[in-house]
Amino acid sequence: MSLVTRNALIALGITIVLAGTIAYAINYLNRARINDLSTIENQLSIDTLSLETQFSLLEEAPCDSAASSTTLTGELADLGSRLSYAEDQLGSGNSQVVRLKEQYSLLEIRDYLITKQLAAACGTKPVTVLYFYSNAGDCSSCDKAGYALSYLRNTYPALRVYSFDYNLDLGALKTLITLLRVRDSLPAFVVNGKQSYGFTSLSDLEKKFPKGALASTTATN
Amino acid sequence: MSLELLAYPFLFIAIFFESFVLVTLLSKPAREARERAAANINGTSVLPSVAVIVPCWNEATTIGGTCDSLLALNYPKEKLEVILVNDGSTDDTRNAIARFAEHPQVRIIHKENGGKHTALNIGIAATHAEFVGCLDADSFVEPDALREIVPCFAETRVAAVTAAMSVHHPKNLLQHMQHVEYVLGIALRHAIASVNGLYVTPGPFSFYRHSVIKELGGFRYGHQTEDMEMALRIQHAGYSIENAPRARVYTKSPNTLLKLIKQRTRWTTGFLRNVTGEYRDLIGNHRYGALGMLMLPTGLLAIGSGILIFFLVLVEFVLHIINAFAIRTGIPLSYALVPHGSFSWFYFPTNYSLLLSIVTLGMLLSLIAIGKYVSKTPMNLKIGLISYMLLYGFIVPLWLMRATVDVTFGKYRDWRW
Repeated sequence: MSLVTRNALIALGITIVLAGTIAYAINYLNRARINDLSTIENQLSIDTLSLETQFSLLEEAPCDSAASSTTLTGELADLGSRLSYAEDQLGSGNSQVVRLKEQYSLLEIRDYLITKQLAAACGTKPVTVLYFYSNAGDCSSCDKAGYALSYLRNTYPALRVYSFDYNLDLGALKTLITLLRVRDSLPAFVVNGKQSYGFTSLSDLEKKFPKGALASTTATN
Repeated sequence: MSLELLAYPFLFIAIFFESFVLVTLLSKPAREARERAAANINGTSVLPSVAVIVPCWNEATTIGGTCDSLLALNYPKEKLEVILVNDGSTDDTRNAIARFAEHPQVRIIHKENGGKHTALNIGIAATHAEFVGCLDADSFVEPDALREIVPCFAETRVAAVTAAMSVHHPKNLLQHMQHVEYVLGIALRHAIASVNGLYVTPGPFSFYRHSVIKELGGFRYGHQTEDMEMALRIQHAGYSIENAPRARVYTKSPNTLLKLIKQRTRWTTGFLRNVTGEYRDLIGNHRYGALGMLMLPTGLLAIGSGILIFFLVLVEFVLHIINAFAIRTGIPLSYALVPHGSFSWFYFPTNYSLLLSIVTLGMLLSLIAIGKYVSKTPMNLKIGLISYMLLYGFIVPLWLMRATVDVTFGKYRDWRW
């Protein structure tokens, strides 16, 4: 075997090993991401359950537990960002991503319900936004709407934004959609129970909020 | 299909080629080449006679320095002859070289302008030296360069020897980038020469066995790249081309982007025209070993992939910018221009083509470091390295595209810069 052939074969071997190592490293990191998400979700699930149990035990809403709920919402937002990134990396069809999204949506619905219960019991008026999007390619302005909502959430931390994949096959989500009568004209928003559809600009989105709602949410924080 | 999938084959080939070069650098022939001792000018062995031809066309400002560096070569004076060929210069070159007229080692020839290959041939015809070298009139040699080159001719199959080129006093960013590129070239040339895969004997201080040059019929026009044509002809005739990695020579490099594009367009069109023309039978021909099976196919592929990857990156980048702009429309700049999200391993990008590119760049960096180490090339590479890594990939496609268009439409350009 000539030196050139021998070196070419070694180089081919190195190339295959490097390409394989990269593929393995990517797979390893993605699995670690999924595990990380699962851990966060499990912790959030326990926290939510704890809050619900606390709520039930005291029968009357412990109004000081509103603070706990706010913390949970912040953590939910961080989990949502991570889940969205994982979805970009692994694809929206990935079974683990879908499972995690289902769990995440359930957590969001539970947090939404607790928020409503706390508001009723303690007389607060939180501004909640339920945002329905689609990754199926049938929502051209969902990215813009998502970014605008991120801006609003960042600017007004008391604003409670819950994002849902409209097409997610989850019973509780479908029930929520039915109860709120949300049509499949996406993006869809339910701001304090009132539906609206489509996204044109941030200023138009802000008009969908109750008068003074954004200012008051800032003031409370 | 995702656009980035198109880049995968080229990234695999780039990694394969870089791996091949690194493995070859560790192989016995390359190790022996590095261990080869320079010629001992005080020894008892008889050193061969050598002539260095300097073709000049309007090189009044640099020819003096070039000739001075040749006369300072650490080589027996009676064995070294310098032939200055004034190829019909219209500037002050005639007067600039006149000061060497009385020097016993220097011969001056004036001729009508006919191109570099004609100047070289006149110089070759005027000497009986065993080895003839060529030095562009804007290049300067280290005193020991010739001592490094002569031992490379030990085997009779060796018809030519190339030196280790780098940029002479790089000043601006563009020249620093070229300096890094030249240092990378030192490693590549050193490795590829050890498996006889070189297809160019550059103008700055390449040497030829006089008898072989005569046998092959002297230099030709070679589509404005007479050094490449000669190298291909040497390989075609079954001889080999060696490299002396410590024979340092410094050359002036283009100081503006336009000049650089012009120079590299000439090189690339010369490569395409020579390789796909008279020497196309070398491509993929196993009789020519690394040259036929690896270097020429890779060289051709590199031109195509350079253009393709440039467009892929450009399209992806433009789409990303458009999308980012569209998403941020109407959002206050204080939020839109600031990156959000936490710095966590979770967000480490795991894009396959990106990681392949990082590996490719890593291997490239190691080759540059090897080139600097082997040749002991002075100067700080930091400025050049950063700019080379970040910017050069966006500049190269400019001449690759220009050259491809020129070759496709048969356009020839004036080569002077």
